[in-house]
Amino acid sequence: MTRRPTRLDKKFDLLREKTEQGTLKAPSSNRALNKLASNKLAVLGLAFVTIMILASVFAPLVTQYDPQKVDLRMMLKPPSADHILGTDKIGRDVFARIIYGGQISILVGLGSALGAALIGVSIGAYTGYKGGWWDSTFLRISEVVMSFPQIILVLMLVTILGQSLMNLIIIFTLTGWGSLYRLTRAQMLSLREEEYVQALRAFGLNTFTICFKHILPNALGPIMVNITLSTAMFILQEAGLSFLGLGVPLNIPTWGNILNVAQDLRILQNYWWVWLPSAVTISLFVLAINFVGDGLRDTTDPTMQG
Amino acid sequence: MFVYFTRRLLYLIPMLLGISFLIYLGLELTPGDILSYLLPPEAIADLKPEELIAMREALGLNDPFIVRYLYWLGGILQGDFGYSLASGVPISKLVLERIPATLELSIAALLFSTLFGVILGSISALKRGSLMDNSLTVFGMIGVSIPEFIFGLIALVVFALQLEWLPVGKRLMPGYDSYWDHMPHLVMPAMVLGLIMTAGVMRYTRSSMLDSLNKEFIRTARSKGVPEWRVNFIHGLRVALIPVVVLIGFRLPMLIGGTVIIEQVFQWPGIGDLFVNAVRGQNYPLVMMISFLSVTAVLFASFLIDLLTALLDPRIKLE
Repeated sequence: MTRRPTRLDKKFDLLREKTEQGTLKAPSSNRALNKLASNKLAVLGLAFVTIMILASVFAPLVTQYDPQKVDLRMMLKPPSADHILGTDKIGRDVFARIIYGGQISILVGLGSALGAALIGVSIGAYTGYKGGWWDSTFLRISEVVMSFPQIILVLMLVTILGQSLMNLIIIFTLTGWGSLYRLTRAQMLSLREEEYVQALRAFGLNTFTICFKHILPNALGPIMVNITLSTAMFILQEAGLSFLGLGVPLNIPTWGNILNVAQDLRILQNYWWVWLPSAVTISLFVLAINFVGDGLRDTTDPTMQG
Repeated sequence: MFVYFTRRLLYLIPMLLGISFLIYLGLELTPGDILSYLLPPEAIADLKPEELIAMREALGLNDPFIVRYLYWLGGILQGDFGYSLASGVPISKLVLERIPATLELSIAALLFSTLFGVILGSISALKRGSLMDNSLTVFGMIGVSIPEFIFGLIALVVFALQLEWLPVGKRLMPGYDSYWDHMPHLVMPAMVLGLIMTAGVMRYTRSSMLDSLNKEFIRTARSKGVPEWRVNFIHGLRVALIPVVVLIGFRLPMLIGGTVIIEQVFQWPGIGDLFVNAVRGQNYPLVMMISFLSVTAVLFASFLIDLLTALLDPRIKLE
């Protein structure tokens, strides 16, 4: 009795053929990396994110214009060979502003995500492992923080602390650590019941070593995914706040601050090149990060096969 | 059930106390004299310095922090939210004026996203793996990545400025006052706000629908000879909808947050607009009270959702 060949059979036939010809390459050591590399959207996303980061870090090499330089003879000029994305209301080069703006926008996104991870992961790992009084205290605190609609909490803190780049990163960190804390804690709660943890405890290792050196690395997969997706979320939030004029101070170019002028209906209707390129950049960048995050989730989560 | 209900309600109290304490701490930390939002500004202008000092003593402003907090909390429980720094109007009055606009916008957005999310999600599930399904998934991903105000700006340019089908913003044109005159103004903000939520509802409906289509009762229905559309929509979708209803409830905080930016884009005179203007004007008491009210709203909404879930699913018990 023969059965219908499945997709896997074809795969094995291909492998056998290659082995017989001696052309089969030894599989590279890192299975997760291979899996990520075979996800086209994730690779495309990663490439885009890398290009944008490199472009903004080496901004002076990419464009010869100064993003802050006002040129009143060149106000609101449409895209041309000189200014490939035209100029804004006071004659600043839009392309240069987007490239330099990337520095701050990416810094805010990545910085806040890493800050939130530092707080959330260290508290979550330690209290999740120890349990008891500290654990329930931090659980309550995170519940209080997370019950605020995020933008309301952020704006409330902006009023209290004042508006600056550093404050914004601090505020995002303070409001965003909850989800990473919850995630790490949940991971720790299941991992601490494993047998190797009991063995380590029997050896008499101290809590910090067991917790951060031995258990935490096993929980890193989902944490990395969450950090990636948080970066995207913070970039979106920065854009929203700066659009309202309440994020990064307006004199610093960021993707959101470039969009701030779109509140003016005259500019919105007649001078698309002033705001549309920045809107497209934010959307593509966040989309790219989300693709990378999804790709990472597929590679690190063993339940996602295929 | 009754025990669960009471426990869940009692659980709200420490949460609200904690939050109100944080809010009061914020109020005390912000610059400015506390008298200025306890009394209407005209009253302060009329007073002599000695009288102000006497008044501080009489109002208990020299009491320890915790006593002052309790007085403030007592005031809130009696509906006294203090006064706005900018206009001297009681905050409760300002907020009450704006609530209908925000409710109108969020209910419209909720209806829109539920309707479209459920329809598109079930189409996706029924035609699993088809071109339609895949493109809807990609659209969902793109929808999550584009900030809502960019959708808003593009909608403004296309439908209001270029095609001139819809008004640019605001809730009512001067001179019009019937309820139906809101409608053209409501369409764009509600659609844009709804679009962001549609993606989530769609994805959730899809997986829930796939789940329920694999159940035994669907096979039974088919074998009885029930027409295919009846199997899908009457038997399948009805069961699939239960978790979706719960998910929609959980999105309420997102809806409240979403109105803050969308109301700015479309100059919609709701709570979000009041809030942003208060932040811009450093109107501390107003900022704090709106934050407090929005958290309270979210907490009560999630309480109701928990209750609904417990009613739908008898397995849920607290602890």
